[in-house]
Amino acid sequence: MLRRDFLKALAASLVIYQSPLLATTKATHHQPKVVWIVLRGALDSLHTVIPTFEPNLINLRPTLYPTIQNELLPLSKGYALHPSLINLHQWYQQKQLLPVIAVYSGYKKRSHFDGQDYLESALKIPDLDNGWLSRSIKVKNKHAIAISQSTPISLRGAKQLSNTWYPSRLPNAEHDTFSALQTLYQGSPQLLARLQEGLTMDSMLDTKNKKAKQNGNFINLSRSCGQLLKQKNTDCAMLTLGGWDTHKNQAGLLKRQLSVLDNGLQALKTELATQWDDTLVIVATEFGRTARENGTRGTDHGTASALFLAGGKINGGEVLGDWPGLNETQLYQQRDLKPTSNSFDWIAASIQQHWHLNNQQIQQTFPTSSPYQGKIFRS
Amino acid sequence: MQAIQPPSNKQFTKATIAMQRFALGARPNDIKRIENIAQPWLLNQLTFKPAVEFDSTLPDSNEILIIQEKYKQAQKAFKEYAKHQPITANMSDNKDMQPPKNPNQAIYKQLTADALQQSINSFNSFNWRCLDFFSNHFSVSTQGSIMRGLAPTLEREAIAPHLFGRFEDLLLAVYQHPAMLIYLNNETSIGPSTKYAKMNKGLNENLAREILELHTLGVNSGYQQKDVTELAKGITGWSVARPGKEEKEGFVYRANKHEPGIRTLMGKSFPESGMKQGTAMIKYLANHPITARFVSTKIIQHFISDQAPEELINHLTTHWYNSNGQLSSVFQALIQHPLSWQIKQQKYKTPREYVISTYRALNIKNLSIKQVQSALSVLGEEPFKAGSPAGYSDQQQDWDGANALMARINWASQLAGRKASKRIDIETLISNTFGDTLSTHSYQVITRAESRQQALTLLLLSPEFLRR
Repeated sequence: MLRRDFLKALAASLVIYQSPLLATTKATHHQPKVVWIVLRGALDSLHTVIPTFEPNLINLRPTLYPTIQNELLPLSKGYALHPSLINLHQWYQQKQLLPVIAVYSGYKKRSHFDGQDYLESALKIPDLDNGWLSRSIKVKNKHAIAISQSTPISLRGAKQLSNTWYPSRLPNAEHDTFSALQTLYQGSPQLLARLQEGLTMDSMLDTKNKKAKQNGNFINLSRSCGQLLKQKNTDCAMLTLGGWDTHKNQAGLLKRQLSVLDNGLQALKTELATQWDDTLVIVATEFGRTARENGTRGTDHGTASALFLAGGKINGGEVLGDWPGLNETQLYQQRDLKPTSNSFDWIAASIQQHWHLNNQQIQQTFPTSSPYQGKIFRS
Repeated sequence: MQAIQPPSNKQFTKATIAMQRFALGARPNDIKRIENIAQPWLLNQLTFKPAVEFDSTLPDSNEILIIQEKYKQAQKAFKEYAKHQPITANMSDNKDMQPPKNPNQAIYKQLTADALQQSINSFNSFNWRCLDFFSNHFSVSTQGSIMRGLAPTLEREAIAPHLFGRFEDLLLAVYQHPAMLIYLNNETSIGPSTKYAKMNKGLNENLAREILELHTLGVNSGYQQKDVTELAKGITGWSVARPGKEEKEGFVYRANKHEPGIRTLMGKSFPESGMKQGTAMIKYLANHPITARFVSTKIIQHFISDQAPEELINHLTTHWYNSNGQLSSVFQALIQHPLSWQIKQQKYKTPREYVISTYRALNIKNLSIKQVQSALSVLGEEPFKAGSPAGYSDQQQDWDGANALMARINWASQLAGRKASKRIDIETLISNTFGDTLSTHSYQVITRAESRQQALTLLLLSPEFLRR
């Protein structure tokens, strides 16, 4: 047997017996990966990255703030994370997480749909067939996958380079759709009664059905996302998580919702294993919520919110962005947290540094932003 | 400068009601198109000839009967062939050893797909709704091999041509159609005193009973068992030609199987006159005042409300009577009566109406008929599978159960998941679908949804979209 053939045969046997080894070899290629996560419904940043130094907070949120005040997870400069964000807090301590406060997409009108269009297109006038992630992969000829049933705006405009994936056994409607339906049926007692009956029945279903339903939950989607990203041919992925429109009983909703986000992100990291070091995760939402809590222990549509950058090589462990203050005069239109920077300044900078886009390419991809100049990654 | 008149809201609302309640739901621009002509638009459809148009390239009942006969022969030949073949291990690989494939399932899919496709794409969908009504009134189900192919042909061949004609002509066409004759076994019914009657071959009352109970007078309307028997005898000999064995195709009258003698139905006597005897009996039933009232009530219950208002019943019945059962007059009466135009939605959509109106609202161009058919199966109203000659229920209580609602929620949210990213502007969709009839509450909940997908899901599940 020729020596070359022998090596070939050996390599082939390694594929079978040593696939973890093979995976590490792949990772040494240092293929930089991006995960773009949109939180649909407008995340309340004041209940997520909390400015504990802010004397106005307790006055603005007399019932909301005390629900978390004593269990906060401390960050630097007097900020703290919501108690549900246990994994993210650990990432922060390992310098793998960068929260950015008081950001907005450039959109100030408080409509979810329009706000999400801005966040996904990153254009002055949103184009629903032209997303920023698709422009990024186009200039670098990279490949993307959206974990969704149809191509989201972020990835539209790059048909050849992007794909969608979703668990084939479709899940039941998401939890927040059911709660919206309960509101919708307030004036229709019969539909409301049927819905409640249906929900009760559903909760008693056998485990087999439950399992099928869970395929569509965020934690499982994140895990699948990690698996898909490990393919050599996939450079980035997009995930979305709804359920952030907390007009009512926000404390309980966010406690659960943030925990889902936290566990989902951890599942993604675990799945990525060593590739985590080459991964950039960007988490953002369409806008923020009112600084003041409303009459139903929730918050209404606002302006500035927070975003997160994370990954194994992120220059983390600090909170970025300028704090605008919460005085009456410091609030935007006397109601919302005022934006002090554009989300795309941070997103563009992280993409530029991670995928090495030159200035012209970055101008093409994020025409409305002026990228942050600091180092997002540790070298 | 010429002052622009704001659109009359009343006309706008009327156009919306016409689209939702009388037709199969609005597609984008449909409401605007008929804004000032809602009633004339509906009335005009009554004059269409033909009332609805099917794809004429698809097989008709005669062809299906021939295909079925060939299939049966192929099956027989195969059995014979297989009997004489040595049993070998690789039989399943042998092409010659495969039994012939039943052609009826493919035919069923094609024919039902055609009706759905036309209903979804038609501007004049009032006529398609009327067709659906009578197709369900004369419900035939796909039990057994031959009915699978034949059931969808009844509405195409017997109902559609007489949709707005005289009710007696509609009845005669239905009772002379192979689908109905075979479904309710009249093709094998034999006059008991003819020489063909034997121990296990004789009178079959199935069709006669359903004519009285479901199609004309209605249950508990005063007819007796002897009326059923008399009608059954009157239509003995109404049968279907055997393809390949007879020169004729389709309906055939077999004089030698007809029960001779005078028949008495509801106290009226019908002299012996062969096939004409049964025809006279059916015409008598078609023009009976109880029939006029029974079918009018069903029409109102279908279009307007499960609790048909007495005033409207009387109105339609009078028109029925005055026009000798001319269905265009009856529908005209329905369209022109103010009680049909109440703003309050009183009808809960059946799954078929729900699915069709959804596809229309979303203006889905590259329609996957497979998805539409699977939706009807998931939501519980597969075409021609009611399994009873009474057809599918038309009443809210039979469709609005908790399970059924959950099925609609899951279906709608999946569909929204697939469609939400398309260029759908929710505000435009609302006005295209509901005109100005959406309640402020629903409007607010939908437009304040946290994502486009959720907004679309809520729109499709709003009380105003579940009802019409």
